[in-house]
Amino acid sequence: MTDKTDVWQGTLALMVLKTLETMGPQHGYGIARRIEQTSGNVLALNYGTLYPMLLKLEQEGAIASEWGTSDNNRKAKFYKLTRAGRKQLERATQDWQQATAIVARFLSPAEEAR
Amino acid sequence: MRQLKAILARLRGIVAQDRASAEIAAELESHLQMHIDDNVRAGMTPQEARRAALIQLGGMEQTAQAVRERSTLPWLETLLQDVRYGVRMIARNPMFAAVTILTLAVGIGASTTAFSWINAVLLRPLSGVADPQRLVALESVTPGGEWVPNSYPDYQDFRDQLQLLQSIAVTHPAAFSIGKDDHAERVWGELVSGNFLAVLGVKPQVGRIFSPNEYGDKPGAFPVAVISDRYWRSHYAADPAIVGRTIRVNQHELTVIGVAPPDFHGSVAAVAFDLWVPYMQQPVLNGVGTWMLRDRQDRNMLGIARLKPGVTMDQARQELAALASRMAVADADTNQGMSATLLPLSKSPHGPQGMLGGPLRILMGVCILLLGIVCVNVANLLLARATVREKEFSTRLALGAGRRRLVQQVLMESLLLSAAGAVLGIAATPWLSRLLQALMPPGQLSLTIGSGLDARVLFFTAGICVITTVAAGVVPALQSSRVDMNAKMNEGGRTGVAARGHHRLRSALVASEVALALVALVCAGLLVRSFQKTSRIDPGFDPNHVLLNQFYLATNGYSLDQRVQFCRRLADAMQSTPGVTNVAYSDGVPLGFEPSWWEDLRIEGYAPASGENMKMFRNVISPGYLDLMRIPLVEGRNFTEGDNENRDSTKVMIVNQAFVQRFFAGRDPIGHKVHGWGNWYRIVGVAQDSKYHYLAESQVPYFYVPFRQVYRADMNLAFYVRTHGDPDRLLPSLRAVVRKIDPNVTVFDAVPLKEFIGASLYPQRMAATLLAALGALAVLLAAIGLYSVMAWSVAQRTQEIGIRMALGARPAAVLGMVVRQGLKLAAMGLAAGVLLTLAAGRSIAAVSFTDSAMGNSVSLVGHDAADPWIYVAAVAFLCGIAALAAYVPARRAASIDPMQALRSE
Repeated sequence: MTDKTDVWQGTLALMVLKTLETMGPQHGYGIARRIEQTSGNVLALNYGTLYPMLLKLEQEGAIASEWGTSDNNRKAKFYKLTRAGRKQLERATQDWQQATAIVARFLSPAEEAR
Repeated sequence: MRQLKAILARLRGIVAQDRASAEIAAELESHLQMHIDDNVRAGMTPQEARRAALIQLGGMEQTAQAVRERSTLPWLETLLQDVRYGVRMIARNPMFAAVTILTLAVGIGASTTAFSWINAVLLRPLSGVADPQRLVALESVTPGGEWVPNSYPDYQDFRDQLQLLQSIAVTHPAAFSIGKDDHAERVWGELVSGNFLAVLGVKPQVGRIFSPNEYGDKPGAFPVAVISDRYWRSHYAADPAIVGRTIRVNQHELTVIGVAPPDFHGSVAAVAFDLWVPYMQQPVLNGVGTWMLRDRQDRNMLGIARLKPGVTMDQARQELAALASRMAVADADTNQGMSATLLPLSKSPHGPQGMLGGPLRILMGVCILLLGIVCVNVANLLLARATVREKEFSTRLALGAGRRRLVQQVLMESLLLSAAGAVLGIAATPWLSRLLQALMPPGQLSLTIGSGLDARVLFFTAGICVITTVAAGVVPALQSSRVDMNAKMNEGGRTGVAARGHHRLRSALVASEVALALVALVCAGLLVRSFQKTSRIDPGFDPNHVLLNQFYLATNGYSLDQRVQFCRRLADAMQSTPGVTNVAYSDGVPLGFEPSWWEDLRIEGYAPASGENMKMFRNVISPGYLDLMRIPLVEGRNFTEGDNENRDSTKVMIVNQAFVQRFFAGRDPIGHKVHGWGNWYRIVGVAQDSKYHYLAESQVPYFYVPFRQVYRADMNLAFYVRTHGDPDRLLPSLRAVVRKIDPNVTVFDAVPLKEFIGASLYPQRMAATLLAALGALAVLLAAIGLYSVMAWSVAQRTQEIGIRMALGARPAAVLGMVVRQGLKLAAMGLAAGVLLTLAAGRSIAAVSFTDSAMGNSVSLVGHDAADPWIYVAAVAFLCGIAALAAYVPARRAASIDPMQALRSE
């Protein structure tokens, strides 16, 4: 447990949106598992925090939900990306890349030496 | 944008809460099931699988709660909960609620009414105009520093030469008669410079306003008119075809070119005019000689100017003063020593704001005082309730309620109460406003206030509502959250002991209430007393048994000669009417509302100091005037019919004693010559001083000239008839005589002179009446507060009193103890109140009013404001009230059966 990293502040929304983009419509449990897998099981995701986030994204119009049936025949609520969500994802991705690039430049010894 | 969407979604969530809850539960359940399935597939036992899944979800209920909080707005939900709870608490105690809401309604209603008048008269004097912040009043200034209206030629100079003013307009309010002959109806309107409506930015709702080619200065031109929305609806059924039709105004045809918008009433605050006509029609409509339009001495135009954007009033004022000083040199014969200035519209001395400004400010002050008392009373009631509910509060605290939440909830209850009070108060405002209007003097310009519930007034009321809530609710709310749980729970119902702190607090509240009531009572006393004193001042003439009627003969198309003829024929006819002892007529009426006029004099043998104001007030009278008014002559002779317009008769004048004092230093003035109206007049008599503008004025130099020698077309005509009995009984015969002379002249508003001069007392009467009423209300509220606290504290001490009596205390001793306690409380309040009152009395003494007698103002309360008897009487009265409020519950306490008292609770 201790070797796992908590989800960083503000990144969960980005992860959810990206997951939905790559996987298409998916239920909450599926999204949670997918995030864990993608992180190579390094990320400790408290599943409970996922649902308020999903609701928030839905309220903001980035995703939409619909009841459906899961692979093993259970009723589940499926989320999918809306057009606004796609735009938001694009913007957030850019922001994130820019931010990581900046941080990376700070931390890179070669840059520091110059 | 995204946030907004989310908030809207969450608002929707509040409505569909139950469904959302079920859906969240279903979703989490399905999540759990899928996780368990996976875990089982991974080889766990079902129990283990479930446990692991729950752990990773972080608990079913916690997650559901987190989602639910996200699905609605929690703070709004609590708020709504508080509202629901508050309404329920209020509904459960209808008596308490009724008393509180009524008390609040009185305070809030009174303040709102006062504010809506202040709003209408002082804050936004003109409605229906564009950009009123840049409008200012333009006043000429006499050498003595008084503000007076402007002459038309002065206006032309101002208009053509000033750079910092975007535009200037002038207006002359006047009476008109509209209609044919004997169907004529009197209407108040304004004779205005052509650009007037454009300067104010009035947009016509039908037709047009005066166009630039009607702005000219050609006497007799532009026979056009704009009518008010009110007149258009009442007389033409809002028919747009009125534009282009002609109406008969003062027996002359004018073409209606447009209708003003509904919210525009003209250029004088709170006065509704119905007709606007270019001033160039003045010679046609009122028979005024065209030379008078060129006369710089004929100062009868109120000026309104619009500042250029970005120009301050000070800059424009300097430019105006510079121009006026050049004019004072260039036109020295008329303008020597004169200047001009700009004022905010609300400071203009012409119109109701000058008269009502002072009284309204006092009214507002007292309303705030009243509101203070109301707050204290309500705080008291809430505290009493908090005491009753202490056990409820401590139970809730014990069960885990947050103190903040508790405070929030109690405050919400007070807010609900004051909101209910505010709604009731606003509902009462139009009614209260009409009451205020009923105090207006009779027969003169009608004020139009009352529908003044605009956004600003509502905002004010909402503000008051919040302030009241905080003032009355915070202390009880904090008190209720400060309940000591342990003490309360263990107390087992002995309310009397632990509530000491409450009792001290309530005592302090009552003491402050007594203090406020004392201030209100003393202020009311001061104003009532000064009103009484003023109305007992001898005006120097005898207004009893005199009927007064003002004729507007020019509106009947009379020429000057015809008017003089009419006066003489009417006087002759009335003289021979049975019951009539005297008949007279004059230009101005003493102690009336209308501005008084003056003339620039030169006095033989008197060298005025440079800049000395030689503009003296005057009246133009018929020979019988002084006799009719019973103003005695102290020297010389009265006017006779011989002092007439004939070339061989000398022009004469009568002066008053103050005039002699000032210009002849006590020497005999008879036979001296005085120059005015371009002629020399010989002083033939000295009349005793009387009052001319205000009863409270000091001696004013004044003079009279004979009607037949000075009467001019722009002068008024007031007709007086003295009788033995009730002057009203003369009205039918006056009507009949007038009809016989000319059926087209109508007697519109004949009133007994006694009533008419009451107008000069109007500001004082209004202040005195309202303050007496509000003072009574304040005392009543304070008495109720005092009584409720005494009754409550006695009830709390029932057991203690029972023990005392069981141990042998006599009823009289118990009675004395309780009453003493009440008086002690009152005494503390009175001590504080006296200090407050001294300060309040001083600021009231500084308030004055004016009715346009050259901008002279008179203070509302005489110099002897510090009448000690008023203070003593008010203190004694409040002591009495306090003793009574303590006595009633004390007697109940003293008559308690000790056994019963001990068993109570």
